[in-house]
Amino acid sequence: MEYLATIGVLIAIYIILSSSYDLVIGYGGLSTVAHPIFFAIGAYTAGLLAIHSGLPAVCNVILGGLAAMLASVLLAASSLRVSGDYLLIASLGFQLGLLQLIKNLDFTGGPGGLTAIPGTVTGAARTPFFLIVSGLLAVATVWGIRALVNGPYGRAITAMRDEELAFTALGRDATSMKIVIFAIGCGIAGVAGGVYAYYFQYISPDQFEVLQSAAILTMVVLGGMGTTFGPVVGAVLLLAIPQAITFLSLPPSIMAPTQGIIFTVLVLLFLFLRPAGIVGLSRKTL
Amino acid sequence: MLYTTRRTILGAATMAGLSLPSIIRAQDKESIKIGSALPLTGSQAGYGKDFDTSMRMGAADVNAAGGVNGRKVEIVALDTQAEPQLGINAANRFIGVEKMPMFYVSWSAVVKAVAPIANREKVLAINNGANSPEIATLGDYVYTTFPLADVDITKLARYVYTTLGKRRAAVLYINNDTGIDAAKLYRDTFTQAGGTIVTFEAYDPKATEFTGMLLKTRAANPDTVHIHGLTADTPQVIAQMRQLGMQQRVTSYSAAYNPKILEQLGPAAEGLIVTSLAPGVNDNKNVQKLLDEWKAAQNRVPNGLPYDQYQYDMVWLTKALYEYLDKKSLPATGDTLKEALLTQKEFDLPMTGKMIIDGHRVNKPVYLLTVEKGAFVPLATLT
Amino acid sequence: MLDPVILAQILWTGIATSAPYVLMTVGFALTLKVTGLWNFAHAGLMAIAFYTMYFVLDFCDLPVVAALPAALIVTGAASLAIEIFGLQVLRDRGSGNLTFFIFTLILSELIIYVITLLFGTEPETLFKSILSPVTIVANIAVSDWDELAVAVAASGLVLLYAFLTWSREGQFLNAVADNARLAELYGISAKRAWRVVSIISAVFIVASMYLIGTHGGVVPNSPLELIITAVIGTLLGGIGRVFAAAGAAVFLGLLQSFSILVIDSRWQNLLLYGVLFITILMFPRGVRLPPVRLLWAAR
Repeated sequence: MEYLATIGVLIAIYIILSSSYDLVIGYGGLSTVAHPIFFAIGAYTAGLLAIHSGLPAVCNVILGGLAAMLASVLLAASSLRVSGDYLLIASLGFQLGLLQLIKNLDFTGGPGGLTAIPGTVTGAARTPFFLIVSGLLAVATVWGIRALVNGPYGRAITAMRDEELAFTALGRDATSMKIVIFAIGCGIAGVAGGVYAYYFQYISPDQFEVLQSAAILTMVVLGGMGTTFGPVVGAVLLLAIPQAITFLSLPPSIMAPTQGIIFTVLVLLFLFLRPAGIVGLSRKTL
Repeated sequence: MLYTTRRTILGAATMAGLSLPSIIRAQDKESIKIGSALPLTGSQAGYGKDFDTSMRMGAADVNAAGGVNGRKVEIVALDTQAEPQLGINAANRFIGVEKMPMFYVSWSAVVKAVAPIANREKVLAINNGANSPEIATLGDYVYTTFPLADVDITKLARYVYTTLGKRRAAVLYINNDTGIDAAKLYRDTFTQAGGTIVTFEAYDPKATEFTGMLLKTRAANPDTVHIHGLTADTPQVIAQMRQLGMQQRVTSYSAAYNPKILEQLGPAAEGLIVTSLAPGVNDNKNVQKLLDEWKAAQNRVPNGLPYDQYQYDMVWLTKALYEYLDKKSLPATGDTLKEALLTQKEFDLPMTGKMIIDGHRVNKPVYLLTVEKGAFVPLATLT
Repeated sequence: MLDPVILAQILWTGIATSAPYVLMTVGFALTLKVTGLWNFAHAGLMAIAFYTMYFVLDFCDLPVVAALPAALIVTGAASLAIEIFGLQVLRDRGSGNLTFFIFTLILSELIIYVITLLFGTEPETLFKSILSPVTIVANIAVSDWDELAVAVAASGLVLLYAFLTWSREGQFLNAVADNARLAELYGISAKRAWRVVSIISAVFIVASMYLIGTHGGVVPNSPLELIITAVIGTLLGGIGRVFAAAGAAVFLGLLQSFSILVIDSRWQNLLLYGVLFITILMFPRGVRLPPVRLLWAAR
């Protein structure tokens, strides 16, 4: 039924988001929290193209991913010149600034959001179609990232993350590698955004704020940073558990903050007691 | 052997279990479940929770009066936190899990988010609290029983020009859904009537300091100021206005019609004009009954009384819709309920009076109130 | 619009309204200077400070003289606890910056969720009325709140400066800020310095939340937004330069206030982020005014 299918699509989309985020912070070691903004760029690009251009949906989603990738390259190239720490604040500023811009422009729908994104598949086939598409993309993302980090490039990434100084001393360019990883991760997030826009046919800037950053961060930390299936586990937990809780007849004024409390406490506990996350190997600390 | 037996028994038991409710249904008069998607938590919960309470009071009264041809009504409320994503969840649950053919929803962003679902699934989504004019164009299955901004804002603007005789208006509005559309409506109506808009400024929803904007306004020399914000910022704008020596009469809309604003502003609130889309205690004696119920239940006045009156009435509207279906022996689906809504068109509701559904819009008289000696008093009724 | 009275009004009100942000930014910048951490737990502490005062004033019906000390004690204790049981533990493990960031941000969120559970989400002010008496001074409206805000911020800055420059404890903080390991070699306890700074920042947080809470409504989520200004001010001022950060906070406030003369008010916030971006790209070490001495010497 539609209800479970929507949750399924959301889980798939968040698996894509958390895995790509894990690539950036877990494998790449880049401190950034702006992942939702690339999700937003992909969603808005695809949505706007869907409304105003006659291009096919697949095209729009890919263009959304490319737009996100381009934005991420610009951001990384400018802030990584300074230092890795700077990327954290720069990315936060970029996210909030771009959202502010979106809210103030008319053609993006402003603060009210972008409505009436045209549908693609209609009728009874819609739900299974989106489930399959998002599911396949999720599998492709997890697989692709796994292949990337397990290959020779992956070893280079690990080397850069763990011992940047030695890495540079060996003649490798850490900065461009970071930019490439960031671009790949953010581009994938952009694609997820495109799928999201087409499925829900409505996007609003409020969906991409700092709380969203914290949610994706939670998924990765709980699941296990720098692992293949950690983000998957995190995404499923963070989406399924609140839904399950809503079926218990708790008074709403207790339920919503309580969910928040449960998850933040879990993250903190994991951070201190099991930094490797649920799936993580017993690596020592982050 | 054992496994097969267990599996068979389990299978049979499940089938029996699944079919049991339908057996019961066939024998019993099942209650009508009314879906309501509201912010029960989050920043809008102050209103959302009271809306829910008022709706439940409506349900209790409908049931006490015999229900819908003997069937009881039951409110199923789901929390949206006024967030689109949660609104989508709620809509999906109403449709997919609760199998409802219609549901009520409010807060503009949420209405917009659930519109595609309602249209796809052919389920009737009725807005009963949001006022974004865009709601009238969201699709075949999205209707409103709450007047959209083009009702009260246009009447207010005309009143300010014609009756109050103001000619130079300043419009200050919050830069979001609520503010942008309404501000444009005010501006266009006031200008059409013959007035001039001397300042037209949006402020950031998170702003707390309005000096610059207010000084710009002061320099433009308006004779009235219309502020279209939310309950958090409107008092601050008015307070800072007064502190900068601006004494112009302020108009706002129903969000400013709340007792807290009087507390926060004290004498600075004198003369404030607000709109209400529901009749007051003096215009409709049923309203006192609602206030008494609130006093008895929670010992206070509900937040956003006019909105609560709509919430209460929605149960009675639902009753009218289902009674139509019973009369015509129609099953309850999105399409039939839509027909019930549009064919009947006129409904006499206890708390809000006569409601005329005009396609995707609804027209209602606008009640103006003003602050006099620290309390809201009726000012005018605009039809 | 270029009327000198209007400009003077915008200047005065701009300075006054930026006062709580100055206090917030100073607390944040000082913490960054001494501990090297972007401590987003300050958002949680801001929420604790406000709601403690709110609780004492509104639920317990006690006067301000009780609310302020209560907030100082509770916020100070919370800040110290975070330092001892959170940050120090992570330091001992050799955790990376990302871990600290996650910890402080998620902790702030936890605090805010708990406060939401306890207090709900209605905007609240510390006093029922947000109006404060206004005096006209040379055609400029000066409210009592304005005066209080400027006085508190100014004295806070002066006291901090005196503390950092002339007291031993303050000099220890400087030493630890420069190089914690080296300071330890000289017998200065870095741990103590970090704890002292956690308490000092709590004081600044309480002061700023008092001002903010008496000027307008606060919801549990407000601190998460307020802290962004502190972050930007700290960046503009330059990491490690606390008073420059204070100046940056005033500058940002005035920039937003005066910008209204040129642009629509709805673009004000975007301006803030634009400034952040330019800062990051062009002044990553903070804006530095050229040392006048050197210019003079070069003549």
